Order: sequence, then structure tokens, then C-alpha cells
Amino acid sequence: MRRAATALAVLGAALVCASVAAAGMYAGPLQWSPGQGAGSSYSSTWHENYFATYGSGYDKAVTFIDNRSYGWHNTVRNRNGVTETYAPYPLTVKAHCVAYDWGFYGSCSVW
Amino acid sequence: MMRRRTRWLALGGAVLVACTFAGAVVASRLGDPPDVEALAAATRDAPMTRIADIAAGNGKTARGVFAQITANGQFCLWDAPTGSSAQGQGGCNPADDPLGGHALSASLAYEGGPSPADVTDARLIGLVASDVASVQVVMSDRSRRKMTLRQAPASVGGFRAFGHRFGRGELEHGTTPVVVLALDARGREIDRQATGFAGG
Repeated sequence: MRRAATALAVLGAALVCASVAAAGMYAGPLQWSPGQGAGSSYSSTWHENYFATYGSGYDKAVTFIDNRSYGWHNTVRNRNGVTETYAPYPLTVKAHCVAYDWGFYGSCSVW
Repeated sequence: MMRRRTRWLALGGAVLVACTFAGAVVASRLGDPPDVEALAAATRDAPMTRIADIAAGNGKTARGVFAQITANGQFCLWDAPTGSSAQGQGGCNPADDPLGGHALSASLAYEGGPSPADVTDARLIGLVASDVASVQVVMSDRSRRKMTLRQAPASVGGFRAFGHRFGRGELEHGTTPVVVLALDARGREIDRQATGFAGG
């Protein structure tokens, strides 16, 4: 009984760790250059995609790319300190972020 | 042989420590990036103030332009269906500098792409400083669209705001918004922001 409970606890912890590893930062922090992009894994459960930078004023975009047409959805482009969009429903998508300015530091995250 | 390997390991360790230290110094000089997890939680709690409208079009319902000041010191500007919607598209700057050091802070949201010919809906929202008299969007066919500016309440900074949906007619044949111009009362350019579509 105790072994089964331990096994369940370990399995639960592993599942939590796996989900934490899958969501979160998928690129950076790093120094970006124009045209440089990054993407997460595909999932039907993503909610929000963020591109956060050290300071404001850097041109960049976030979007979601579906796994069938590879089209872009809910793209947002601006030069705010944090650029954000939400995932389209009900599609299997990956979060994608792309830089259009030189030499700024930042990271991309998805939940 | 063993001693040489130890030396290389020590050198590698020293390089790693130096790089980590250099990265920390660079990061500390640039300031911390916003903690997006904390920001996401803060935006769920902070009230949203509607400061401009986005008309229905392209088979989509009307939306609004919403300003939000969060408990963790961020000023966020959203293109969203309602003030209670989690479907916000836009971004945030520090609350003590909502325009990010510019006279114009614009945000473009669009569906489709990345090729301009595949864009089915595009919306532009933004804020301008008090010395900006008008905002115009230059399209890829060189035509211009004048944005309607609305005064935002003092509670969200008292800026003037705009929201615009580019209708199907405006996006026909791959025509896209290229650059947003902030002009003074004499029509002189104060600031510009490229949308990223060709020609900007």
C-alpha cells in the first residue's frame, strides 16, 4: 500500500514537473537581431504568448502558428517592453516570437 | 595527463564563471525585464478602462481599446472584445513611461500571414503624447488613413488614443499598413513606427 502511494506521489510529481518544463520560457534571455525568431512545441492548450525585453522601444512580434497550414494567428507587433497575444481556439499551435531590431536583450514565454 | 585535464577543467570553470558574471553585469545595467508571470496575474486583477473603439468589420465583431495600470507598475494597452475579456492583444510598458520614450506607441494585431496577401483582418491601436496633433497610417499603395484621436481619462494618463480596423477594401490585393506617423499641428513628423509590412 505504502509502495503504491509512493509510486503515485512520484508519478504525480513527475507529471507536474513535465508540465512546468513544457510551459514557460521557450527562448532567451538572449541578445536578438532582426529576423531572428524562436518557437515553442505544438500544443492545443497554450493560452498566452509573451516577448519581454530589458527596456522598451524594440520592434518585435508574437504569434501562434498552426500545425496544418502553418499560418499565423493573433499576431501582435509593437515596441512595448512586453508584447502579448492569446492563442486561437481550437487549434494545435506553437508560440512563435520574432525580433525586428538589433541587439536588445529579451525572452519569449508561453503558457 | 591527469594534471592537464584538471587544468583544462579549471580553465573551463573560470570561463563559465566569467561569462555568468559578465551576463549578470550586463543584465543589471539594463534593468530587469518585466516578470511576465507576475504581469499575467496582475493584469487579471487590474480594472480596464475603455479609451477608444474598434469598429466591427471583416466578419468580426467590434472591439475596444483598453488601458490598464497594474499593481506591479505596468501600463498596458489592449485590443480586446470587452473590458473583462482574457483575449487581449497588445503590450505593456512601465507605468512611469507608458509611451516607452516615444511620442507614439502603436500596436498592430492581425489574423493570417505572414504573407501580407494572407492577412484577413488587421487592427491598429495606440497612444500619443500631448504634442502630437494627428496620426496617419501610410498604406503600401501610398494612400493615407487618418486615425481619430480620443482623449483618455486622467486616471489612465490623459493621453490621446486611437483604434482602427482595416476593412477588406483597405486590405484588398495585399494592400497593408506600412508605417504609422505622428504629426504636429503643422504636419511635421514627430515620430514614426513601422508595422513590418513591406516598404516601412
